[in-house]
Amino acid sequence: MKCIITIELGTNAVRIFAFDLNGMLIDSMKGYYPTFHSQPDYSEQDPEQIFITMLYVLKNIMTETIKPKKYKVASICFTSSMHSVLAVDKHGVPLGNASTWADNRAKKEAKEISESLLADSIYNSTGTPIHPMSPMLKIAWMKKNQQDKFKLAGKFVSIKSYVIHQLTGEYMIDYSLACATGMLNIHKIAWEQQALDFAGISSENLPQLVSCFANAGTLKKAYQNSLGLNDDTKVLIGSSDGCMATLGAGVWNSDKATITVEDSSAVRVVSNKMWHDEKKRVFNYLITEDCFVSGGPSNSGGGTFEWYAKQFGDFTNAIDIESCVSSLIQEATKVKAGSEGLIFLPYLLGERAPIWNPDARGMYFGINIKHERQHFTRATIEGIFYEIYSIGKMLSEHRDISSLSVNGSFATMPFCAQMIADMFNKPVQITANPNSVSKGAFLLAATEMGIYKTLDEAASQIEIAETYLPAENNHKTYLQYFKIFESLSSKLEEEFMKIAELQ
Amino acid sequence: MNQLLLTKDIAEELRLFPHIIELGIIKNTSIRLDSFPKTTTTGIKCFFVSDGKFQWDVHTNQYTVYPGDAILLMPGQVFGHTIGTLEVGSFSWINIDAKQTGIDGFVLDKWTSLSEKEITSVSKILFLNSPVVITKFEDAGKILKCIQHELLSKEVGHYARVNSQIDELLILIARKITVQSNPGRDFPNTFMKLEAALRKDLSHQWTVEEMAALVGLGATLFNEKVKNYSGFTPLNYLINIRISEAIKLLKKKDESITDIALDTGFYSSQHFSTTFKKLTGYTPGEFRKNNSHNI
Repeated sequence: MKCIITIELGTNAVRIFAFDLNGMLIDSMKGYYPTFHSQPDYSEQDPEQIFITMLYVLKNIMTETIKPKKYKVASICFTSSMHSVLAVDKHGVPLGNASTWADNRAKKEAKEISESLLADSIYNSTGTPIHPMSPMLKIAWMKKNQQDKFKLAGKFVSIKSYVIHQLTGEYMIDYSLACATGMLNIHKIAWEQQALDFAGISSENLPQLVSCFANAGTLKKAYQNSLGLNDDTKVLIGSSDGCMATLGAGVWNSDKATITVEDSSAVRVVSNKMWHDEKKRVFNYLITEDCFVSGGPSNSGGGTFEWYAKQFGDFTNAIDIESCVSSLIQEATKVKAGSEGLIFLPYLLGERAPIWNPDARGMYFGINIKHERQHFTRATIEGIFYEIYSIGKMLSEHRDISSLSVNGSFATMPFCAQMIADMFNKPVQITANPNSVSKGAFLLAATEMGIYKTLDEAASQIEIAETYLPAENNHKTYLQYFKIFESLSSKLEEEFMKIAELQ
Repeated sequence: MNQLLLTKDIAEELRLFPHIIELGIIKNTSIRLDSFPKTTTTGIKCFFVSDGKFQWDVHTNQYTVYPGDAILLMPGQVFGHTIGTLEVGSFSWINIDAKQTGIDGFVLDKWTSLSEKEITSVSKILFLNSPVVITKFEDAGKILKCIQHELLSKEVGHYARVNSQIDELLILIARKITVQSNPGRDFPNTFMKLEAALRKDLSHQWTVEEMAALVGLGATLFNEKVKNYSGFTPLNYLINIRISEAIKLLKKKDESITDIALDTGFYSSQHFSTTFKKLTGYTPGEFRKNNSHNI
């Protein structure tokens, strides 16, 4: 029997899933790796530890499940989080750690471009907002601030490219991760010269650009032996986690949008052309030559509520954070929609879409003498979803969205899913498989094998497990408060800047 | 001011207890200038405040300490009042002699009933977390009072009781600070601290009990929490870090494979080779050869 293995190199952990060819889950395992914050704004990971952790987990799933159950691995498909960059020397040895999407050290470089004439033309050609997360800016930062390292660098690669290079010896990058570098011209599907110039590199310093269906080379003999695989196991380059979460949610060339809320969040739609936002707030990632995932990311999400739970939750009877979160949510259900006029701005980590303001900070507004902890609890959750709604509102300026597909551990809690339905006044669907990134990677690999003719057909296989219908009354209430939420977010710009400076 | 001070080599009461450098109590009723200057700690020192309020410099930070609070200081740490003032109130302290070994270890002489392994764990915890103000730690006050009483009254069995009270104090401090600095609500944060401690001393032969003690958990619960959070057992997670660090060193050409093995915590180059090959399919030597094109 054949099976497909998907490997997701996520923000905190590698998650490996094995599916049979019908898409049934055989087994899954994860392995954690740390993020280092040696200075404020720095966010780094050790590429060797990521590789070893991936190898360790892969070996475990092979020896504990795949081999005893006599499966033969047809292909291994990779996905990873976006915007990571690692400098390697001309022998492929890493020059220090990789910086992750959360690394903000290139703030100055981002500001420099945003205020220049380059901003419009770079956004028009790359389709990605100018933000410190972008490898283009991180490389420019290195050129200025770590000249020795910059001079030694032979290539600048994503974490996924590095891991695959260890396994097969090839340096490759798929279109979606190439978009995430901020240096891909998405119209020509080639590196954008203006962006390369700003970073101070040439296309030779980047991995080879390939489609998500590309074969990323053959596993080296030693790994074939240690993993018990042979040379007919295909290694697929795959795509990015965001794009695969969208595919795995079954949202493809339709009037649907996906909302993903894990620690942070994103709202995405799929279409066959770039969505050009005049205010440069929307990202566009290319999956295949004619398929774009467009949308907006938010820094708030489940992580924001976890912060609230840690500070104000009751831990006397709770075993861990999860049980504390669920008892808080229980409490929040007792408060009416709108939290009786308490509003929360969820900007604990600054914000990306739609306000793109790293200096934004959180606040509770409208507190009166009758508010109790349960109101704050509900208001915190509502604030997180008002922010999601404001991204959705921005998307609906361009597109009619008739229904939403929701995934991620936070958003799929019934209380949260209902809240999203009410705020958007649209039906919300939750798919049967909660791990939409790995499901998406499976569909990609299965399409490559010819099991599905196209990604469209693959996406249509996704089953809906539950649907939440909007409650009209709640929607009206939320809308009233959302107006205040929205105006606070924009009115406080000056105060955000001042407080961020003092902090 | 009322004061009791027993000092090693001077106080008759301490003749049997060469490991107690000093035991003292101060009850102060009026502010005194130049009476409590900053000094550098020599042994393991524990202060307990029973009355009043003190503004003390604890190494690089300033703290306000209240009744019920205890302070732990390790050798080399500076402690006292910024300009040497002795404020109004009461406190007691003990200073225990311990020979430091390495950056975060000490040995205790034969008087202790702690096992060698327990001493390693306790010393790691004390060094890692000190100096520290431990809040609501009335037990420390009771123990100091008991030691003082036993030393002065010299009733039968007092040698054993004093020493067991010192053991008790060290154990309680270790447990209390791990719980205080690792609240159950934030395991990710606790895990991050553990991971940093492992990296800092990778060549050490860590045991699960030691790692668990470091974060203030029992070994069984610790195992379960780490497995749940990281996907690996504590020892397998440690192997992950060891191999990743070894890979970095293998890619830099100058260190011998045996040295790399020992530096990264494998007990022999054989053990390193087997573990490395099992995971990567390469022996360390082959791996080095494949990853160096610059010979």
